[in-house]
Amino acid sequence: MKKTILSLVAITAMTVGLNATDYRATNAATWTAHTVPTAIEALYGKITPAEGKIKLKAPKVASSGGTIPVSIKTDIPAKSVAIFQDANPEATVVVFTVVEGSPADFGFKIKMKESGTITAIIEGKDGKFYSATYSLEVTKGGCEG
Amino acid sequence: MKKLMLVLSMLTLMATTTVMAGTAEAPTKVKMKIKAKSKKGVVKAKIAITHNMLTYDQAKRKGKEANFITHITATVGDKVVYDASTSQFLSKNPLIKFKFHGNKGDMLKITYTQLKGEVFYGEKKIK
Repeated sequence: MKKTILSLVAITAMTVGLNATDYRATNAATWTAHTVPTAIEALYGKITPAEGKIKLKAPKVASSGGTIPVSIKTDIPAKSVAIFQDANPEATVVVFTVVEGSPADFGFKIKMKESGTITAIIEGKDGKFYSATYSLEVTKGGCEG
Repeated sequence: MKKLMLVLSMLTLMATTTVMAGTAEAPTKVKMKIKAKSKKGVVKAKIAITHNMLTYDQAKRKGKEANFITHITATVGDKVVYDASTSQFLSKNPLIKFKFHGNKGDMLKITYTQLKGEVFYGEKKIK
């Protein structure tokens, strides 16, 4: 029985894409975690990230919480980059798989219900983790829709 | 006897999954604002996807079903150049920027999956 389930999971994983990782399938708990620490643990396990050379940028004051531009860039050879924040009902925002040949350099826009802190975790190819945080003010909450 | 049953059920499962994967809903092509420019072999891509990105909270308030993008992949041919598992917390009409190694004339394809599993895509030639 177990073997059948395992093979089914393996086939599903393969169908998703050989190069891509669907973190929604592999780490379902991270997407429902309410706090940043629980979300990080659900995704990467119990880790002690070190401060790394990471450029995490966002506006200091966001006038519209519904669309906050964020950018993250690092030269640390990375496997994945995860973004969390503590202002919304759930903590995880997005998890990037850093693909061979593409730099860890991403720009995206997020929603934040209120002022808070964005946390970025870099999963290094060396097996170590690095983190960076950025705190910002949101003058008009972004989950009003 | 038990082993034979196990093997048989495994094979049936494999066959069913393959058939299911094959008959999975074909991705629907949608309009997407794709800007991809190549300079010295490095492509800067900027994509604006039209999507409500309705969170669970917003959906409850509006009496609708939550619907947001859960996965975005960018490919050139069969090579994945960008891969993100996403949440309800990307903004409405999410704008994404990324870089990869690519050349002018290559076709950049952006595929995204939403909460219920429907897949959509857009593509544009790299300038």
